[in-house]
Amino acid sequence: MRRLVAVLGAAMLVAVSCSSSGTPGGGASPSVAATEKPQQGGRVIEATISDIATMQPVLVNDTASGRITGLIYDNILQVDYKTGEPKPRLASATVSSDSLKYTFEMNAKAVWSDGKPLIADDWLTGLKAVGKSKKTVRKSTFKDVVGFTDYSDGKATSISGVAIDPANNKKWTVTMAKVSCSAIIDLIGYTLPTQVFGKYVTDSSKDEIDTAPENTNPTVVSGPFKFTEWRKGDQVILDKNATYWQGAPNIDQYVYKVVANQTAITNGLKTGEITWGTIQAKDLADVQTVATVKIDKYQNLGYTFIGWNTASPTAVGLADKRVRQALAYGIDMDQVIKAVVFGEATKQVSHHVPVQWAYPTGVQLEQYKYDKAKAQSLLKDAGWTPGPDGILQNAAGKKFNLTISTNSGNTERETLATVAAEQYKQLGINAKAAPEAFQGLVTKLTTGDSTLEATIIGWSLGAEPDPYSIWHSSQIPDPAKKVEGFGFTYFKDPAMDKAIEEARNPSNGDCTVASRKKQYETFNKILNENQPYNFGYANNVLAVSQQSLQSFKPGSFSAIYNVNEWWIKK
Amino acid sequence: MATAAATAGGVIVPAEARPSRSLWDNAWYKLRRDRLTIAASVTLVLLALLSILAPVFADNVFHYKFEQQDLFHTYEKPSFDPPAYLLGTDEVGRSQVVRLLFGGQVSLFVGFVAALVNFLVGVPVGLAAGYFRGPFDDFINWLITTLNGIPQIYLLLIIAALWQPGPLTLIAIIGLLNWTGITLYCRGQTISLREREYITSAHAIGATHARVIFKHILPNVLPLIFILAAIDVGGIVLLESALSFLGLGILPPTPSWGNMLTGGASYFVRAWWLVVSPGVMIFLTVLCLYLIGDGLRDALDPRLKTHESH
Amino acid sequence: MRNFLIRRALYAIPTLIGISIITFAIARLSPGDPIRLFTFGIKDFTQDDYLRLLHAYGLDKPIPLQYVDWLSNAVRLNFGESLIYHREAGTMILERLPNTLQLAVTALMLQLIIGVPLGVVAALRRGSWADGAIRVFGVAGHAVPAFWLGQVLIILFAIGLRWLPSQGMLTVGKDQLDLMDRLKHILLPAFVLALVGIANYSRILRTETLDVLGQDYIRTAHAKGLRERVVVYVHALRNSLIPVVTALGGILATLVGGALVIEQVFSWPGIGQFTFQAAIAKDYPIVQAGVMIASTLLVVSYVLRDLTYAIVDPRIKVA
Repeated sequence: MRRLVAVLGAAMLVAVSCSSSGTPGGGASPSVAATEKPQQGGRVIEATISDIATMQPVLVNDTASGRITGLIYDNILQVDYKTGEPKPRLASATVSSDSLKYTFEMNAKAVWSDGKPLIADDWLTGLKAVGKSKKTVRKSTFKDVVGFTDYSDGKATSISGVAIDPANNKKWTVTMAKVSCSAIIDLIGYTLPTQVFGKYVTDSSKDEIDTAPENTNPTVVSGPFKFTEWRKGDQVILDKNATYWQGAPNIDQYVYKVVANQTAITNGLKTGEITWGTIQAKDLADVQTVATVKIDKYQNLGYTFIGWNTASPTAVGLADKRVRQALAYGIDMDQVIKAVVFGEATKQVSHHVPVQWAYPTGVQLEQYKYDKAKAQSLLKDAGWTPGPDGILQNAAGKKFNLTISTNSGNTERETLATVAAEQYKQLGINAKAAPEAFQGLVTKLTTGDSTLEATIIGWSLGAEPDPYSIWHSSQIPDPAKKVEGFGFTYFKDPAMDKAIEEARNPSNGDCTVASRKKQYETFNKILNENQPYNFGYANNVLAVSQQSLQSFKPGSFSAIYNVNEWWIKK
Repeated sequence: MATAAATAGGVIVPAEARPSRSLWDNAWYKLRRDRLTIAASVTLVLLALLSILAPVFADNVFHYKFEQQDLFHTYEKPSFDPPAYLLGTDEVGRSQVVRLLFGGQVSLFVGFVAALVNFLVGVPVGLAAGYFRGPFDDFINWLITTLNGIPQIYLLLIIAALWQPGPLTLIAIIGLLNWTGITLYCRGQTISLREREYITSAHAIGATHARVIFKHILPNVLPLIFILAAIDVGGIVLLESALSFLGLGILPPTPSWGNMLTGGASYFVRAWWLVVSPGVMIFLTVLCLYLIGDGLRDALDPRLKTHESH
Repeated sequence: MRNFLIRRALYAIPTLIGISIITFAIARLSPGDPIRLFTFGIKDFTQDDYLRLLHAYGLDKPIPLQYVDWLSNAVRLNFGESLIYHREAGTMILERLPNTLQLAVTALMLQLIIGVPLGVVAALRRGSWADGAIRVFGVAGHAVPAFWLGQVLIILFAIGLRWLPSQGMLTVGKDQLDLMDRLKHILLPAFVLALVGIANYSRILRTETLDVLGQDYIRTAHAKGLRERVVVYVHALRNSLIPVVTALGGILATLVGGALVIEQVFSWPGIGQFTFQAAIAKDYPIVQAGVMIASTLLVVSYVLRDLTYAIVDPRIKVA
């Protein structure tokens, strides 16, 4: 069983480039592209279904804006597109043995598009901008940097934990208040041109950074592209940064085109109006018939799940571990994946997904293979037996009703809810699907609304695998005390808390992958056994591009990390 | 305006050929001769019956429950065997024909009941505003101008985006927003009628307000209201489908023609039959309602009588 | 004429205030809140962060107070800062308004260019197959769901035949002033948007033309021996245009409203699509600005309609 998972994981790690047709000379495999000399010029048009919100990295809170800031600003570190491991980009990093001091040094070659070299101050400007901004949602990321909170609250005029080397203005050290294993990812922060944004982070400035005109019209960039025009609601036009420090891109222009919906993306890819974009599984078969495109598949960094409210006053059965296990055995997830996402997903039985290093490979996890008889016997053990109408009831005569909520407008989740409800009916549970608006659902979840029984929703994960915000017992909402959080299953376990804490702020200061991975194995094992979620599945991302686009190698952690190497074959 | 006996686009209809009848008799006489309207009415009644009897058909003809899934038989092409596959199956192997019948229940229910709400709000408000005038009329006038000033789809959209509706809330929302047309019409007619001689003389002989309104004004206003209502129902069925397209209509798994059409459209290349059947149902229903509205107008509207009757 | 305009403009004020109250109320009284929506799932996000953001956006004040604040700014054309875009909401709507207007005006022109002749032809060839076909179209045009027709036309003309683009206003990289390219993009959405109006106008014009043709003065004109075509164009058409103008109010409302759905189908970057997406994301300032500006547009167009009506029909007294 374990081997199977490992193989599956490995298969997903490789971006499967399946050329969709038999056209000769069509499918540009990476090896072919490597031997050919890249041609210069051309334009890449990427499709998005929502317009960007801002080009100020500190304020970015959506994928679309993140794509543009990722193209115009380089970061000090870049996570590997396949493994998520942080690697030097603008700067190199070293960590002290007590895991409290991080030292960075900018690459000597790194320059802004106006010719100025990148220096330590530029990173500090980014951090100060987070402190000054009132609208950023990222303040808590830096709370463990010594002096950051004081600066942010206006109690200090500088961040005491950041020290720039007086002898080398490209080198700086950050001191953390406590050992935090996510620091290396968190401290990537934002590297902003001080010559532009410096004036918004002086001692006297307040929150001007939030409305700075350069947020919508960036003038100086460090990335492979520079900003040219934002036609609101329609497209963002970027032109190549000819002086990009890692070598100018081959393509002349990158256009981020806003379209209304997924159907429009598929249509545009078919007609060639769009160079690349991601499509939904339901459109895959259709797109595969188009000879002019190629398809890259890779596993999504996230999963879709059914969360059980283990404290539900109405669906009391969910409090029992055996019932939740029965709900895992009682749904034919492989068949569901075939029906709902056309097989383009992998069943999940843990919180971490296979592409993350934290994915549990060293521990035996129950796979919850579909087994209706086992599900029924578990329900019986838990005291739920069929009543006269065939619906399960407990000793007190209470019927097993189950409302599965999900956010409306997401066809995939709506279908999943419908299919799950139907399969649970087969077990004798009176289940029904109930889609509702995302905004209402989110509020119910974070405030711990007791009317929710089961919820289908998804998590997007990151390169840093810390699950504290979702699974630590401190994150369970408490409506009575108006405490909010993402722990809406109400499930807690002291051993799980300890594993999360040890991997987050280890008492021995050991932040190595090997040591943290062990903790996450314990953590996932507990989740796997207790089933506060049915972990559902991790989708495949289906990136479709025109055959003419070369060196395009997207992965779970990034699609554009090598954009300066892309070229268009004429 | 030419008299009733005058030319209808050149065709002379001898006045004495027609016995004098009341408005309703006259309308009925004309309706019976309007084959298109008859055909539309029959079709509509048939559609309504099919929908109302959906459970009976599901159990006895198709032997398939509307929520029944079969993940091994998704996207089955339309076929006679088994009967449940008459219009094919959808993405989770449900019978399209059975869902279509149940979807009709929801769509037609929403259409008719919301129109009824419009009617029940619009007529009394319009009569009262037109009859009593004064501050109440000013207020209603302001309210209508205000509601009509907001593009309706925006209003519906915000409400629907913020409170995701089920069939009943959708009825309430549409019902409470859509009444202005009927009210405006009622008010206008009432204002012009209350100055007529027979109304003033009714007042003179001591008739109460209620008597004047119900005996003299309402019967004169009602016929055209029915035309407006028929067209209204069609408009609401279309509106429901548009809201579904925006993801704000009746939510699946409850079937409605609107959400079936929207859902089917995303599988167009895989299964065209999922798009065609709800589309045809919506088209047919709305078409019939408009034809009936037209027919009623021909039959009832004395002004249009001269040039729209054939 | 000037007094008429001033009076109509004054009438519009209470209407606009009413619209602002309705919009504000339904946006704010609904469940869910935008801060929770856009911070859902953020790593290490705390309760304090939530309260800080609520305060930063001024959403912690009582709702009536928020309304007064908003209104006093809105009259100065400041609709507040978007929660997502961090820019003034009114400006963002106005940036997209020309796109919607372009679509609506093109559709209106199509309605007149296609609908009016259809109706006149049907009346002149009364009882012919052409008349029959136009009458069927006049009813059927109302019965097709616009979003569905749009999708079908995209599949047919953009994906199947490759004659027209599937979405957007302009081919990426084409010159902004490339009229041919713009025309190709606007053709399908404008036609779908215009359809109901075309059907409407063909019906109205048919009825009116028949009505006018039966009137005494036309028969007199006939008797005088004028050629039929002249009779129709000079006498009949002018009179039949009155109901065209009357219908304009309703048509404009459908154009502004209908554009929302069409924009969504054809990825047209107009105010409808934008406001719709803002409503989903609960970006209050944009929703409010979008509805207020669309409504103002409508109210203004009603005034213009009345004005045109007065000009076309001399019997209406302009006081």
